[in-house]
Amino acid sequence: MTDTAREEILGRINQALGRRGGGEYVSSVSGTVPAGAPAAGPPAAGAPAEAPHAQPGAPAAGGGTVDQSADYLRTGTHEGEDLIEVLIDRLEDYKANVHRVSGDPAETIAGLLESGSKIVVPRGLDDSWLNAFTGDVSVDAPGQELSVPELDTQAAVVTASAVAIAQTGTIVLDGSPECGRRAITLVPDHHVCVVRVEDVVDIVPEGIARLTPSAALTFISGPSATSDIELKRVEGVHGPRTLDVIILGSAP
Amino acid sequence: MTFLGMPLLPSTRRDRPTIPGGQGNIVEDESFAEVSHQHLSNQQLRNNIGHATSTIREKRADVVAELDDWEELREAGSRAKNHVMENLPEYLAEFEANFTAAGGVIHWARDADEANAIVTELAEANAPVLDSGRREVIKVKSMATQEIGLNEHLETQGIDAFETDLAELIVQLGDDKPSHILVPAIHRNRDEIRDIFEEKMPDAGDLTNDPTELAEAARRHLRHKFLTTKVAVSGANFGIADTGSLGVVESEGNGRMCLTLPETLITVMGIEKLLPSFDDLEVFLQLLPRSSTGERMNPYTSFWTGSTPGDGPQNVHLVLLDNGRTRALADEHGRTALNCIRCSACMNVCPVYERTGGHAYGSTYPGPIGAILSPLMTGVEAEENGSLPYASSLCGACYDVCPVKIDIPSILVHLRNEDAEANHSPVSSQLDTALTGASWMMSEGKRMATAESGLPIAHAVTGGEQINSLPGIAGAWTSSRDIPALPEKSFRQLWAEDEARAEEEDDES
Ligand code: SF4
Repeated sequence: MTDTAREEILGRINQALGRRGGGEYVSSVSGTVPAGAPAAGPPAAGAPAEAPHAQPGAPAAGGGTVDQSADYLRTGTHEGEDLIEVLIDRLEDYKANVHRVSGDPAETIAGLLESGSKIVVPRGLDDSWLNAFTGDVSVDAPGQELSVPELDTQAAVVTASAVAIAQTGTIVLDGSPECGRRAITLVPDHHVCVVRVEDVVDIVPEGIARLTPSAALTFISGPSATSDIELKRVEGVHGPRTLDVIILGSAP
Repeated sequence: MTFLGMPLLPSTRRDRPTIPGGQGNIVEDESFAEVSHQHLSNQQLRNNIGHATSTIREKRADVVAELDDWEELREAGSRAKNHVMENLPEYLAEFEANFTAAGGVIHWARDADEANAIVTELAEANAPVLDSGRREVIKVKSMATQEIGLNEHLETQGIDAFETDLAELIVQLGDDKPSHILVPAIHRNRDEIRDIFEEKMPDAGDLTNDPTELAEAARRHLRHKFLTTKVAVSGANFGIADTGSLGVVESEGNGRMCLTLPETLITVMGIEKLLPSFDDLEVFLQLLPRSSTGERMNPYTSFWTGSTPGDGPQNVHLVLLDNGRTRALADEHGRTALNCIRCSACMNVCPVYERTGGHAYGSTYPGPIGAILSPLMTGVEAEENGSLPYASSLCGACYDVCPVKIDIPSILVHLRNEDAEANHSPVSSQLDTALTGASWMMSEGKRMATAESGLPIAHAVTGGEQINSLPGIAGAWTSSRDIPALPEKSFRQLWAEDEARAEEEDDES
């Protein structure tokens, strides 16, 4: 039944676009076949998908690439300490707490956590970062994942990050060993996140360019928030209500 | 540049192939004229909506002004979406192949009924029957599932769907309908919300009307559900063709909870939501949050590609929904309405929306975009839908703010023409005549300005009283709708003054 639906929907689209009989397709806007479109015309409605899993850098398998020859900014203008300052400003604007550390972050991390409390960390976190913390550390690793109820008893989570975008105050976690599974940074109420200065970029396009698309990605800009009641911003609904960001290293 | 006065486009309606329209909550059940009449008399609602739209409008203007390349980003966004629509079969096939290769399962749904049946079947297979004899799923706010009336359908099938977005929860507990696509409960004030929570949330206890306390009550209410429910249903803001990834943009973390903790994730997404490549996100992740909530970035954005081993739901499904989208695609003059990324900016600037609120549009999609999208997806032949293209003053503000440059005013004019042709009702043709005049007047800035400069005089003549009826052509219009007292100044003048004032204040601070 679903197969029939697929065929029928693709058929309707072809009909809507004026591609009668699966012949050559002429764009109604440009009047030409768009760049990258298959030369032999579109697949007939219902034809099995032929597109291979896209390889990085390979031309798009289907409708071609978008002409991005224009025009919007793809690299920012901030550098060095300026760049870090923009990031701090935007993070604080979003009610994250920001801490600058140039050397060993262990003392700062311990200071943010309640001594004696239970915390969870991803398997790839630098051990030395927890040297000053006195409490119960659970390491979430494949085969030893904490269950959801277990995660719910953790006071905090400490992770690293993949990329931080200064202009928007955004930190990206990518599921790598240092960032961990998505659930560990979601269920505990307090997230301590370490951002290395070399992972800070200025604007969104620079951030996107550094990411691996197939990873499960979480973009975080400040702690959880809602404005659903009379547009009054309330921090902390369902995600972690406190976000501490440690910016590690000195700007080049 | 909005060509408001362009000659009415020749209709292609008659020779257009017959592609079935959508069903469910996109079809108005009452005409805009009738419902808006009721809402115009609700002062509380108008105050709440007015406050919300003006606040978001200002925030949006501020964060958009921060970007020097805003116009270029809009242009890129518009180009990417046009390109997707023109090559939709190829992009759908590419997306399908990549999503499937990553372990996801795709289901195609021609209409609301079919989509509802697919979700029901998946929920029955994966959500256990509880002691109550019913099954439960948790939901992320989603326009697509609202459109197909999924919650109502599931309920009849013994499945309770819990909305987890705070606003959707307020709407759901209050047995109400969303009035705005971004802030669905914006028509409710804090006292009303407190009353709803006290009455409908078991264990809520006594609450004050403090938003922080109300949010905390919602957190407690939903926490257990998040941690124990096996099946979640979501929508998607983006589907990425070259990687097969899906993305959800949100604020509260309820989205992350639903997308991450359950074992099974069922996503319902319109076929028009595709972007060609992952790189296009560099454009859309700038356009969407700024246009929508007026933030540089929303607090949380999640992307997933099929299932990720050891991380998140391992049983991942996607329902690709037509439900009238192909019908809209067939309208060459209206097709770009499918480019909409549901930011809601057009609602927040619309003087008509501000007065009537979202319920008056009678559809899941309110405001200027709803006034074109609903009739495009379902057809103007249905009489109520035929009234929607008139729910606009054609001031052009919606086009100016739209992050993907949808020329809503031109499409409105085109649909009015279609309605006139399809229905031949005296009202339509009278409105049509009136509109030809309006088009002529609006076609040139100077004529418009001249007409507007007459407003203070007209205001003086009518003594600032509300006008309840007008003679002649406009009579049919005012018989079902009060025209507000003529303002002393036109919307354009007020807008310009407002902007100037905001700039001044900025300079001062
Ligand atoms: S039509 Fe444009 S402004 Fe309106 S909701 Fe859609 S994208 Fe936003």
